[in-house]
This record gives sequence, C-alpha cells and structure tokens, in this order.
Amino acid sequence: MDLIRLEQITKNYGNPGSDITTHVLKGVTFSIQEGEFLSIMGPSGSGKSTLMHIIGLLDRPTSGKYFLRGEDTSQLSDDQLARLRNKEIGFIFQSFNLLPRISVLENVVLPLSYVGLSQAKEEELALKVIRAVGMEHRINNMPNQLSGGEQQRVAIARAFVNNPSIIFADEPTGNLDSKSGQQVMSILQELNHQGHTVVLVTHESATAEHGTRMIKIHDGKILSDEPIINRLLADREGELGK
Amino acid sequence: MFRNFKDKLNISRKALVANKARSILTILGIVIGVFTVIVVLSIGEGFRFFVLKQIEFFGNDIIQVETKVPNTSKTSSSNATTQALGATIITLKSEDAEAVVRQVANTDMYYPGIMGQELASYRSEIKKVLLFGTNANAAKMTKGGIEEGDFLSKEDEIGNRRVVVLGSEVRDDLFGIQPALGELIKIKGQSYKVIGVMKKQGNAGFFNPDKEIYVPVTTMQKQIMGIDYVTIIVFHLKDVSLAQETAKDIALVMRQQHQITNPDKDDFAVNTMEEAQTIIDSVIGGITLLLGAVAALSLIVGGVGIMNIMLVSVRERTREIGLRKAVGATKKDILYQFVIEAVVLTLAGGIIGIFLGALLSLIGSFFIGRALGGSWPLTISVSSVLLGFFVSAVTGLVFGIYPAKKAAGLTPIEALRS
Repeated sequence: MDLIRLEQITKNYGNPGSDITTHVLKGVTFSIQEGEFLSIMGPSGSGKSTLMHIIGLLDRPTSGKYFLRGEDTSQLSDDQLARLRNKEIGFIFQSFNLLPRISVLENVVLPLSYVGLSQAKEEELALKVIRAVGMEHRINNMPNQLSGGEQQRVAIARAFVNNPSIIFADEPTGNLDSKSGQQVMSILQELNHQGHTVVLVTHESATAEHGTRMIKIHDGKILSDEPIINRLLADREGELGK
Repeated sequence: MFRNFKDKLNISRKALVANKARSILTILGIVIGVFTVIVVLSIGEGFRFFVLKQIEFFGNDIIQVETKVPNTSKTSSSNATTQALGATIITLKSEDAEAVVRQVANTDMYYPGIMGQELASYRSEIKKVLLFGTNANAAKMTKGGIEEGDFLSKEDEIGNRRVVVLGSEVRDDLFGIQPALGELIKIKGQSYKVIGVMKKQGNAGFFNPDKEIYVPVTTMQKQIMGIDYVTIIVFHLKDVSLAQETAKDIALVMRQQHQITNPDKDDFAVNTMEEAQTIIDSVIGGITLLLGAVAALSLIVGGVGIMNIMLVSVRERTREIGLRKAVGATKKDILYQFVIEAVVLTLAGGIIGIFLGALLSLIGSFFIGRALGGSWPLTISVSSVLLGFFVSAVTGLVFGIYPAKKAAGLTPIEALRS
C-alpha cells in the first residue's frame, strides 16, 4: 500500500466575493512509498510549498483526494488531522520556527506535550534526539543564542522526536551557509536511512539531488517524476545517533 | 492524548514564564483595576460610616436650634462665611429654650451648647482643651455615659458652680493614671472641681466628645467667656414622627421670643435630624457617585491596558499557535492554553490588587482617622472586590480568548505565515 496517494489535487486561492482566483495547484497526482527520500523541486511560485503543506496536512486541497495509508483525509476533522500530524508527521521549515522564548530542550519537547507523557519521559525522548543532532551541549540555551545551522538542527530534532513516519522539510537549507546546509542534509539522509520517509521541497537542484526520487513541478503541474540515479551524499559532520 | 489537566497547566505555565514582561503587564492592568475599585469604594464606605456615627451619637429624636445670619438660608455659604468671619449672633438664650419646652407640647427637655477653647492645667500638665457649656440633660440626650462620679446637675447650673466633667481623653491627658475625681484643675486662673469622667465614646464624626470638658452652661457664660448667649439648643422630642410639625411650632415660639414677624429675618435655624439626614444622604450620594465614576474610569483604563496587551500578544503569538498546531495541538489545546493563561493572570492580578487595595485602605483609614482625630473605619466590601475582579477577569478573558479563538481556528499554515 502507498504511504501517501494524491489524486487530482487542486488548490485555489481567492477572496470570497472577488472574481480573482489564483490556481496554485492544477491537478496533481502521485504516490509516495514508505522509506523514500522524495525531493519536490520547482522555481518559486510553482506551488511546491503549497503542495508540501497539503501533503503535510497543514492545509486542505480545494479538490482532489488525499489518502494517507489508504485513509481518505478529507473526511477527517481538524482535530483528527492535528492528532495525525502529531503522530505521523514532522516538519522542518526554512525559517526554523522555533519558539523564541523557550529553551532548546523545551522546543524539542513541544510535540510531546500534546501526547500526554510524563515530564521525565518527555525529556528523555527529547534528549535522545537532541543528542542525535549533536546539540546536547545547548539544551538550556534560547534559540537566539544559536547559529542558524544549530537552530535548524534543533528544529530537526523537534521534527522527529515523535518518531513520525514522514518528515517534511521546506527549503531546510535556504537560510544556512553551505557547511551548515551540508550538516542538515546529512542528518536528513541519516533519518531516511533509519526508515523515516523524507519529503524535501527546494528550488535548488543541488539540494534536491540528495534524495532518491525527484518530482519537478512548474506552474501547479508535475513536469517530471524520476528516480535520482547519482544521488549526492552529504558530508557527515554530525554523526546521527542510533 | 493530552487529556491531562496538569499537562495543560504546564504548557500555560511555560508560556507565561517565557513571556514574563507581557505577563507582568497584563497582571498590572488587572492590579490597577481591582486596586482602584477597592480603595475608592473603601473611602466611600468609610465616609458614610463616619457620618452615620455622628448622627447616631446625637440620636434622631432631637431638633436643633442654631444661630443663623438673618436673610440667609441656613445651609447657604453666606450664613457659614458670615459667622466664620466673626459675626456672632448673640440672641440665642437659655430662656428661649425654657419658653419652647413650656409651649411646645412635643418637647420635654433640652440642653444648650456653647463652645470655647481654653488652657486647662493640673499641677504641671497644661493642655489646650475644648470646653462645652451645657446642662444636666446633655448626658441623658446623647449616647454619652458616666464612667465615674456624676454628670453636671441642675444645681450646678443654677449655682454657677465651678465644676467640670472630663472626657476620657482629657482625663488621660491631664491625669494619666492618677485618680481625677475630686481633684481641682485650673481654667483661666480659677480652680474647678472634677465631679465626673465620661466613658470613652470614640470619635463621633467631626467632633470627638472624649476630648471635651463639660462645664455648666451658666459657669461657662459668666465665669469663663463673659457672655449671656448660647450657640445651639438641642430639644428632645416625645414623638419623633411629629418632628416636622414640632419644628414649625418651635420656630413660632422662637420668633415670639425674638420679636420677629418676617421669617426672612430669622436669626435662628431649626433643624430636624430628618433634614440633616437628607442633606447627608445627598452629600454621600454625590460623593459615592463621584468616586464610582473615578473607579469606573480606572477600570476602563485597566481594561484597555489588558485589552491592548492581550490583542498584541495573541497577534504576536499567531505563529506560535500555527507551530503548535503543526506539531499536533488541537483547537481545544490552544484554547485551553489561552484560557488557563488568562485565568492565571487574572487571578494573580486580582489577588495582588486586593492585597494592595486593602493595604492602602488600611493605611488611608489610619491617616484619615488621625487627621480627623478619631477613627475612620476600614471597610472593604465584598462587592467591591467582586466588581473589580469580575470586570478585570471579563476584560482579560474576552480580549485574550476571542483573538486566540480566532487564531486557533486558522489552518496551521495560515497561522504560520502570519
């Protein structure tokens, strides 16, 4: 069974009462298999981020069907989607989206606080993933005391602290220097290696080629969908814990 | 999944601690609101109590006749200022009172009053004291009671005797713990025998009977002040319900005594306690209204402050809400977080506000009491606490939760993009 299957997904933006509608996605159909590292590539404005938000259950399509493990997600309530995100999905954003006024540890604990574990268990799990991204020396720091690369590593730790099946990364290296970018890509590849499905959205082909499969998207439609033959492997500076 | 209240509390606690400045500002808004309401209403209540106590001391079964400047109204400022500037009306006499009690059936006794300040001394102690020249009825008609010895008698009055009855504070000032009864004190170079000491009364509004020395009215007039008039006469009524008619009868007798035909030329004023009560009620009503307006204003100011901070904070936190939703928070989780945050802030602000308000009221009542030479009661009404709390809480909840609810209703991506 496909992990995710999209059928004729469209997304329109428009103000109610106004005639102007923007068609961002114009009928997108594809599947994602468990264990893939899928890169979705396209120029800005192509609809790739919108597509990722829909696959990531952050947004709903205007039309079309989205099956997650065979279940039609359009039938689910907002709260059911929230729980599904909590259990199945981790996000990494270009701008990190760490909460500014809480520590590294508390940021990583955040998804767990909606699970209902004991505080000790929460911290144990969080420390494990923080160690995995090599940030254990910074657990009590505030996000603004970290470099961009460090912040993104914390954000990655947060993304997989719940042990989700899929990790979505939206331009995760976009705000980073190349060395930090390499580290981030290395961690993503390692996570993929450990069995997490990774969906990466980027406009840089060099970044996209770290994946196992590439979908090129342009103007809301899929241009091509091919496996990546000569996959790039990122430098491993931060060894990922097992 | 996240069913546990402790988890919810924990999330809110972390968020509050993480946003210290904002939390403190919100609390401050509530503190100001609750604080002001408590203080303002406490002052109002204290004032009412203060005035009512004065009325209570004199009783309500009396009618007062006071001197008045002719051609002025008795409550007018020209009457008050003319007398204050030194125009003394010298026409009110004890004989007028005798005539009233004889002719007006509803009156059965009276006491006259004339006041003056003199130095009194006992051995080496010298004190400035307030003398009150009156007769035997004063003790019967007011709430004052004798602690030791006797009050002034009819014979003391007739005989111009040099005897005094001391208020409890005067006794303490002059004699300390020594016995006072039978001792001689000096006023204007003459010796006066202490025949009695009054029980402690406590301050009765604007005057304090504990600080007075009672002297027979005749002694006061002839030996101390060298005059033959009084400034006030207080009549006792047999039937209080007839106060209005009796007041008219008294005025008639007074005009006869003073040979006045035109009521405008009255050199006296007749006051029933009912009238006094009406005046006091309207004054207190006005003051309460004014204080209420001040309290309302400060509540509005506090409320606007809370509203501002809440609106800004929710807007500022829309991204946070988006992120929380992205990592799995449901709409309810977000709402609970904001409700708990608002409740915690409101409670904290309310408790601090009540505490500070009570503290200032306490300090205020102490100093006002001292300034007025008596006690100003500390009254913190439950309703004022509830009112302050309620308004602040509602403001906090409405302006905190409404925007949070809106933000919680956004899709995570809309919230994240903001």
